[in-house]
Amino acid sequence: MTLHKLGRFVAQNIGRNRKNFIFAGIGIVVGVSSFIFFTALGSGIRRVVSTEIFPLDANRITVIPRKAGFSGPAGLRPLDDAAVKALEALPDVAAVYPRMRLAVPATMSLVGGRFPEEELARIARLPGVTPDIVASVKRLDLWLEIMADGIDPRLVKDEVQFGAFADPPEGQPVPFLLSKRLVEIYNASFAETRHLPLISEIIIPFVPSLPLVINDSYVNRGLAGPQENIRVRIVGTSQQALLGGITLPLATVRALNRRFGGEAAADHFDSAVVEARSAAHIASVQAAVREKGYGIDTSQQRMADSVALAVTLVMLGFTLISLTIVGVAAVNIGHTFFMIIFERQREIGLLRAVGASRADIRAMIHGEAAVVGVAGGAAGILLGTAGCLLVNLLAVRLLPKFPFKPTQFFAYPWWMFAGGMLLAVIFCLAGALSPASRAARLDPSQTLSGR
Amino acid sequence: MIELTNIARVYGKGESATSALRGVSLAVEAGAFVRIVGTSGSGKTTLLNVIGGLDSGYSGTAVVDGKDLRAMNDRELSRFRNGTVGFVFQHFHLLEHLDALHNVALADFFASGDGGDPLRRAGEVLERVGLGDKTGSRPSQLSGGQKQRVAVARALFHRPRLILADEPTGNLDTRTSGQIIGLLESLNRDDRLTVVVVTHEAPLFHGATQTVRLEDGRIVGANIE
Repeated sequence: MTLHKLGRFVAQNIGRNRKNFIFAGIGIVVGVSSFIFFTALGSGIRRVVSTEIFPLDANRITVIPRKAGFSGPAGLRPLDDAAVKALEALPDVAAVYPRMRLAVPATMSLVGGRFPEEELARIARLPGVTPDIVASVKRLDLWLEIMADGIDPRLVKDEVQFGAFADPPEGQPVPFLLSKRLVEIYNASFAETRHLPLISEIIIPFVPSLPLVINDSYVNRGLAGPQENIRVRIVGTSQQALLGGITLPLATVRALNRRFGGEAAADHFDSAVVEARSAAHIASVQAAVREKGYGIDTSQQRMADSVALAVTLVMLGFTLISLTIVGVAAVNIGHTFFMIIFERQREIGLLRAVGASRADIRAMIHGEAAVVGVAGGAAGILLGTAGCLLVNLLAVRLLPKFPFKPTQFFAYPWWMFAGGMLLAVIFCLAGALSPASRAARLDPSQTLSGR
Repeated sequence: MIELTNIARVYGKGESATSALRGVSLAVEAGAFVRIVGTSGSGKTTLLNVIGGLDSGYSGTAVVDGKDLRAMNDRELSRFRNGTVGFVFQHFHLLEHLDALHNVALADFFASGDGGDPLRRAGEVLERVGLGDKTGSRPSQLSGGQKQRVAVARALFHRPRLILADEPTGNLDTRTSGQIIGLLESLNRDDRLTVVVVTHEAPLFHGATQTVRLEDGRIVGANIE
């Protein structure tokens, strides 16, 4: 029987048994739709984790100096300018971006009463800022212990939203970047409850410069040495910025470290982001970096992996439930086919009499099962996707604001739809396996005579 | 056309075993019109199924149209039924969801190769059996005689050399039976088809060239007119 003829024949049979097949296929629809729903949800959450919470660049690694080694102090490699040059010279390395912590503590006092009137007036004109918020800013009394580090401006050149991120001329405010994650946490769980303005790209140009005292600490008042008062101004948010502090241009931090910690503090970087020419080269770059005697900071990767694993395990549980539903549906489909075959025994006998082989009969039943699978799979995909869209709409509108709350809770990778369809067809075929075999074994001489 | 040698067929096993055929040997020339008669349970239908390749659980040798049926696998037997044999059954076995035209063309689904437009061929054979105006009728819209003529047309669709009819008039009144018998006789006479008919109503088949009488699974009489 050719495929074309099989298709025509199956179409004839599907039409007259459609009620049976619709009932049999409901389980497939439910199973596939739940598979789509949970897979899309899992993919969506993993996307938020990997792009928002623990962003990882596939072609970048963070290189750190080894803290200890069996080879003794002579074996330790400091991460200095020479080391950066050596790393840049490695094959497949596109760029190296060193970063350095501010070697001394710093403080910031945000006292609303000390803000100049013209600054407050500018804040009042910001979009989304109400008189209530302005009043809160005036009452602001925030004393912060600030950690700071410096990064190579080339690393964040696309993330600067206002002005320039570079060591400024004398007397000008120093630009700084805030961590996107920190801003998300501030906006979602800190600012709203304290009636403070939200930090967004729109308001960044209007935020006044803020005071920063270098070599000062609220925790340790016994610090020795002089202090320095500078002003800092936010110029953007970045995934590369320090999570619990502010990130300044590398040159600024280097200069401050030289002034407050001496040459040694200004010469040694704490880490460097090494960018490979492409993600495909990352393994060879990692090996070369280790060969050079440096370590690789995988803490971000490990955290991302841990969260992704937890999400995957939970979603795997839900996917197993979906598979169970589809499995039960396959059993139901098997029963339906047994019933249909029982009703069509004489017809199968007749088909054998006019030339159908056992393989033709099996192909016929499998063809019908495949059509039920494709139709059930398509309906399940549509229902599941519609469910995702509806739940996403409700979640975005009804769930309270929380850090990293996405505008899209679901992601729709192509393989999910292919997998849903494949799942439906495979389980339908599996359900029809035994009935098809039984139908093929029917003795035409017996079924035609009604024995 | 047909050469059966020592055919035996047993249904069941052990104490419940029943012998339907006991050492039947028979030879039928091409172009013959054979009527197989006998009482109910004498093995007539079983013999017909063996000849048509519907039953392969027998012992002995069955050679039909030069082919040893026992040597064939399922696919070859199916091709044999599709190309060489046309079946006509007492209960018509028409598919209720198909009209007459599509019932007749059923065998095309399983035919190998391209035999032209199947519906056109189905229309031709329906015309041949006098139902050219009933192509779009469902079985439920046809009389018993018309149903059996559709069944004959279905048997003729793939141009068989052998027609096997199992009690083709068993469900018909006398007048309609006469029409069906006349149709089968004309297929034998005009189209040179070999026809084997199992019947209780032997006297109705005047045109038979050979009569085989079965009793308790054995041939008890065979004569050529």
